[in-house]
Amino acid sequence: MTQSYEVFLGCAIPARFNNYESSMRALAKELGIKLIDFEGASCCGTVVLKSIDENSWLSMSGRNIALAEQRGHDIVTPCNGCFGSLKDTDHVLHDDESYRKKVNAALKPLGLEYTGKVKIRHFVEVLYDMKDEISKKIVKRLDGLKIWDMKLRCCGSPLLIASEDVATKILQEKMVSANGAGANCVVTNCPACHTQFDIQQIGLKDDEGNSLELPALFVTQVLGIAMGIDPEVLGFELNRVSLDPINEILGI
Amino acid sequence: MTESWGQFKSFEGKKFKALDAEFTKEVSNLLGGQDLTACFQCAKCSAGCPVSDKVNIQVHEVMRMLLFGLKEVLETDMVWLCSTCYTCQERCPQGIDITDILFGLKNMAFKKGITPQGYIGARQSLYNTGRLYEPTDWERDDLELDPVPELNVDDTKKMLDKTKLMKLEEGE
Repeated sequence: MTQSYEVFLGCAIPARFNNYESSMRALAKELGIKLIDFEGASCCGTVVLKSIDENSWLSMSGRNIALAEQRGHDIVTPCNGCFGSLKDTDHVLHDDESYRKKVNAALKPLGLEYTGKVKIRHFVEVLYDMKDEISKKIVKRLDGLKIWDMKLRCCGSPLLIASEDVATKILQEKMVSANGAGANCVVTNCPACHTQFDIQQIGLKDDEGNSLELPALFVTQVLGIAMGIDPEVLGFELNRVSLDPINEILGI
Repeated sequence: MTESWGQFKSFEGKKFKALDAEFTKEVSNLLGGQDLTACFQCAKCSAGCPVSDKVNIQVHEVMRMLLFGLKEVLETDMVWLCSTCYTCQERCPQGIDITDILFGLKNMAFKKGITPQGYIGARQSLYNTGRLYEPTDWERDDLELDPVPELNVDDTKKMLDKTKLMKLEEGE
């Protein structure tokens, strides 16, 4: 059965990580997932706005959900920030009538209403559901690729707006651990994390001055290569930290 | 430049004017604040927090200040250095929505003008453009990606006027 979603790109991916969008679209095409353009999308709502004013955040995020609802579609997003914001808002509006009333009052002049019919999914959740299908499509083994994921430790990216110093310390701790674990790349499914790993990481050193740089890939790029998709479409040209250490393994 | 936030640096020698029960109540009414009083100071939140070793006041201390009704909590660096990773909330044995409470504290601090400068600029661009960042067109052209779907900024402006986003400080 073909799945179809309105695809919520957010701001960070079209601004900084178009290779993530491109590789996601390539995977979706390969796996028969239909992605519909999200007309009228604004910022997802973002933790930045949630930090400033919860009502504005719920309204901003609720408007996006209500747009998809009006068109009868579910939502998929490749961005962890957008996913968190939309899903969190959906949870609040679903469970709490007083917030729902407030947000719907702000949406009414736009001819929109939130009623809670829309499913909100991360692109990686969709991939996970299709893991059996995906495993049948793997044509290239990536032996030698040692992916590191200090899974549950925050990347520090949300702190770039408050204190670049603290954000960089967190990144340094993570990269010391990654290098120590013998990884030869970092893989994420999030443009905010990637801002740390593929931008802030450039030139990063430990306290002794040793380079901590490791190539940073999106999960859609790794899967894409394994599934034999054209590297150009996967957007490796736009990866900022040099991919030289793993070029051969990826075959790019 | 002296930051307007994070000025509460230590409990050492600190005298508090009042233990304000109304403040505790106000925080309990925030999104996620309903279980605030269940905190028994095990400090498991701080033990898992990625910024615990980088702040003056740790997250379990913030929780204690809230229960004591100490408004000075809004001036601690923990409020704005919370990376919103939700680790504390995941770990809390009492099921308290700690990260959500911290978001509420940020809202309260913002209204008082206690906020990192970046947030002031972000609010303005969210209001002006409905987005945080603009698309990088040459990258999209290179990858043959379609233009990002259009947004009528009047729609989001109308909504944010209604929620008074640009007039938050006046409520004080």
